[in-house]
Parts: sequence; C-alpha cells; structure tokens
Amino acid sequence: MKTLTNNLRLFWQGALLSYVALFHWMRPIQYMASKILMPLAQMFFFVYLGTFATSADNRTFYIVGNALQIAAVSGIYGMTMSIGGDRDNGTLGYIFGTPANRLVVFMGRAFMNIMDGALGVVIAFTWGVVLMGLDLSNTSIPALALTILITTISTCGLGLLMGCLALITVNVMFVNNFVYFMLLIFSGANIPIAQLPAWIQAISYVLPLTRGIAAARLLVGGAGLLEVTPLLLGELAVGFVYFLVGYILFTVFEVVAKRRGTLDVF
Amino acid sequence: MQSTTMNAIEVSHLRRTFSSQIGVIKRTAKEVVAVDDVSFRIEEGELFGLLGPNGAGKTTTVKMLTTLLIPTGGSASVKGFDVVAWADEVRKRIGFIFGGERGLYWRLSGIDNLRYFASLYGIDPDVTKKRIPFLLDMVGLNGRGDEKVQGYSRGMKQRLHVARTLLHEPDVLFLDEPTLGLDPVGAREFRQVILNLQSEKKTILLTTHYMFEADALCDRIAIINHGSIIAIDTPGGLKTHVRDLNVVEVETFGIPDGIVEKLRALPFADSLSVEDQGQKQMLLIQTSRGAEAVPDVMSALEGLKVGRVIVREPTLEDAYVRLVGGKA
Ligand SMILES: Nc1ncnc2c1ncn2[C@@H]1O[C@H](COP(=O)(O)OP(=O)(O)OP(=O)(O)O)[C@@H](O)[C@H]1O
Ligand SMILES: [Mg+2]
Repeated sequence: MKTLTNNLRLFWQGALLSYVALFHWMRPIQYMASKILMPLAQMFFFVYLGTFATSADNRTFYIVGNALQIAAVSGIYGMTMSIGGDRDNGTLGYIFGTPANRLVVFMGRAFMNIMDGALGVVIAFTWGVVLMGLDLSNTSIPALALTILITTISTCGLGLLMGCLALITVNVMFVNNFVYFMLLIFSGANIPIAQLPAWIQAISYVLPLTRGIAAARLLVGGAGLLEVTPLLLGELAVGFVYFLVGYILFTVFEVVAKRRGTLDVF
Repeated sequence: MQSTTMNAIEVSHLRRTFSSQIGVIKRTAKEVVAVDDVSFRIEEGELFGLLGPNGAGKTTTVKMLTTLLIPTGGSASVKGFDVVAWADEVRKRIGFIFGGERGLYWRLSGIDNLRYFASLYGIDPDVTKKRIPFLLDMVGLNGRGDEKVQGYSRGMKQRLHVARTLLHEPDVLFLDEPTLGLDPVGAREFRQVILNLQSEKKTILLTTHYMFEADALCDRIAIINHGSIIAIDTPGGLKTHVRDLNVVEVETFGIPDGIVEKLRALPFADSLSVEDQGQKQMLLIQTSRGAEAVPDVMSALEGLKVGRVIVREPTLEDAYVRLVGGKA
C-alpha cells in the first residue's frame, strides 16, 4: 500500500517536474503560441495544398488527418526531450542511484506529453471547425475524444522509444525529424493509404496514428463507436508495443551503461 | 556474524577495467585498469579520505560503491549489502555527490529539484515539507530555494547537491571532490558542513585533492595510485612516513630548464616538487639533512633569483608527495 502511494506520488511529481524541467519551449507565452499557432500553420499548409492538388471535396480528409497528426509534436519531440533531457542535465546518474521504480519514472515522463498532445489535437480540430468549415454535426464527440486520446497515447509510445534512443545517440533530432515526416506521409494524414505501394502500406500499419486517423475519418463521416472499435484497439496495441520496446530499451540501457561505464558519457 | 563495530563499507579485491577503442579505421581495443585489487574497510561513523593523483581510480571506486558501475572483479558492500546483488538496498542507505555543477534540473527551482528527488526516494510529503527548508538552511541556501537553478552560482549548485543527497537521511555519504571550484570561504563553510555530518554519526567517504582538507577532516586516509592502494593510515600515521624528513622550501623567480633535474640528482634530495605560483615558484625539497641541506641547494640554484628559504616539519602533503613518487 505504501509502495503504491509512493509510486503514485513519484508518478505525479515526475510528470509535473520533468515536464517543466525538460520541455524546452515551456515559457508560458511561447508555449501558448506554439500550442495554438503551430497546428494552424500545419493545417493551413496541408489542407490547402491537398485540396489544391486534388479537389475541394477532400477538405475533410485533410483536416481530420492533419489535426490528428498534431499529436506527433508532443508525442515525438516532447517525449524525446522529456527523456533525453536527463542526459543533457547530467541527472541520469543521480536518478539511477535512487531506488525509484524505473517504470514509474518512465511513465511519469510520458503522462504530461500525452495530455499535451491531446490538447494540441483538440485545438487543431477547433481550428478546423472555426476556420476551415469542418462539419462535426454528424459526429459522436465522445467517440472522437476517445480516438484522440488513444491516438495520442500510441504516438507517445513511439516517442518514448525515440527518447530512449536519445539516451544512446547524440543527434536524435535528426532521427526525430525523419520520423515526424515519415508519419506525415505514411500515416495517411495526407495521402490515402490505399493508394500507396504495398510495402509502404506495411510500414503504415506498424506506425501509430494510421488507425487513429482512419477511425477519426469514419467518425466524422457519421460512423458509431462500435464500427471503429477494431481500429482503436489496433491503435492501442501498436502504441503498447512501442511503450514496451521503449521501456525494455531503457532498462537495458541502464544495465549496459553500468557494465561499460558509459553512464556519464551519455 | 556481527562484529562489535560493524563496518559501514567493506571493499575486497575490487577491480574495474575499461576497454576503449583506439583508431578510427583500424580499431583496436585497449584495456585500462582503473581500479586494481583494492581492499579497505570503513567503520561506522568514520570519515575516510581517498586521495590520489588524477586518474588514480578514486571516482571509479566511488561509482562502484554507489551502484553506478559494475565491478569487473572483487566485491564491495555497504551496510552489509552487496553493491551488485542488493543495489536497491544500498541505494536507500547512501547519498552521493560527484563534484561539479551538473546533475540538477536547471530549469527548476532549487526546491522543485529537491521535491523531485524526494519523490524518487519515496519520502513522505509531510516529511519532505519539513525537511526541505531545514536542509536549505543547513547548506546556507535559505531564501534562494525558489529561484531557478540556472541562476545559481557554482557553489550554490554544489550546496544544493548536498541538500539533495541528505533528503532521505542516508547513513553513508560519498563525496567525490565536493569542494572542487569553491572559493576559500565557501570551501571552509563546506568543510564545516562535512564535520557537522560526521558529528551526526554518518559514515563519509571523501575524495579531494586538497591535502590540508584531508588532514583537517579525515579520521583515516587511503592513498591510491594507478588503481592500487599504496597506504592506509591516520593523517598522523601517514606523516610518520616522512618524519625523518624535513622540507626545504625555496621561493624562486623563474627556473630555467635543467635545474629541476639537477636538484633531483642531489644525493640528499629525497623528493622534489615545484609549485607554480604565477610570478614565482616554490621548490619543495624533502631531505633528511634538514637545514644542513640549504647551502647545497643554494649552490645548485646559483645565478637564480631566490626569495624566501624555509626549513619546516613535513605535512600530509609531503607524505603524499613522497608516497606517490614526488613527480608532482
Ligand atoms: N567511463 C570510462 N571509460 C573509460 N575509461 C575510464 C572511464 N572512467 C574512468 N576511466 C579511466 O579510469 C582511470 C581512473 O579514472 P578515475 O576517474 O577513477 O580517476 P580519479 O582518481 O577520480 O581521477 P581525478 O582525480 O582526475 O578525478 C583513468 O585512467 C580513466 O581514464
Ligand atoms: Mg575523480
């Protein structure tokens, strides 16, 4: 019981403090600006590009796809900074010197980014409705909210893995940018997946976001929660696998660093 | 099997090697032995110094004792718990500082840093609430705890590290060069903090390059060189190694090449070191001949501008210099 409350506290403290400590653009004004304007910029760019290249009928397709894609900002970049930041601060050795439960430390880092990512997606949808004429009158809002949450969680799973890579490699931002743009294309945010070659489709379905975006499009088109449940379960499963791999990588990293003596090199 | 005075730390034939790759194209692995067959015991409540030149293996030893590095060979235990097999039990009972400014969240306030580490140690929030102001006061940071760490001076960061490592009231402390880079007054205050901790019956392992500091603080001192311990004794005991020697100190202004070699070759010069003090240099010559050696030294220095000349009793530093080989 005591362990449980201790771990809950560690989770919360870790969530709040590590978020403030490690999230680089956390100055309030800057944060608000990036939170509100970044989705707008990305939505404008891809929605207009997409409808210009295809047809204005596809507007909803691009709005929904790019709105969910916003989850990748916190999911990939935020997570990487939250976990990799311990390397920059030199705090890793001090954390590894505590008896704290590593899984809880790890999840605490993920939590705020999930919240933050989901908020970003909600803001993006709001822009879609207010400025771009997205019609949600047929949509089950609770089901859409659930889809947003699940998609953000699974995207953060991938981000967690990226964060662990950040502990090992120096220049993870390069890899991050690569992953971010890969998601832009392969998740189906901007290209219908069915039109992609088979081998790319294979990649699409092992990435987070893909099923979440598909589910959101169905929901916006009037589908009910039951119809998208398989997609959401699939999205959750993908996210879970990334979390798991990320966590295993983290524990392996700790052991290897102590064996090789590379803890403070990183 | 409990002896009357339990040892807080036991180190037995500890060894650690590192392999490093040399060369980019044709990679060859080179093995560095950082710690080689090191054994010692530290009693409960003892303040134990670990001295040695750069690269001697002090930090490596401390890292193994603090569970941050797995030994290549031998074993070590803290409070009866093996540092590898019972790492978490060890972690609950120890605090550690590696000198320097890193290891804190610079974007957080001092208090928030302490709060986060309190939760990493699973400390009750009620306890944390009382303990943080107490510790900030103890390390002389009261009133500054709300500021972000990035605005702290180096000394303030080091003080915060002390507060951090005392949060969970550890019995055993590892302080690796804690006074590194502190101004003289700050270092003196820091030493007072260490003495206060000792009076609270904490066991402390301290590494430092300041001999007077070790002399003033430590109950016992181990001198380590090239990964091996070459002497373990009380500061007084170590000085008896050089009891037979006096030290001739000569202040010079610019020493040309070759003079040092010439002095070393003098039959009565047991060991010799040079301290650079900007404009002037201090030559320290250990000799059993005491004052009688002065004329010979002076003739060896002929033609040089010489300041003060003193003959004095040996210090811990002299003992250290002799033990590690006088090449300082
Ligand atoms: N992570 C590492 N990888 C490779 N070699 C290492 C590593 N850590 C230490 N060493 C080597 O081990 C030896 C001992 O280093 P250590 O840091 O223990 O010395 P030290 O006594 O603490 O020195 P200093 O007084 O300079 O702090 C050195 O030769 C060093 O180069
Ligand atoms: Mg060292």
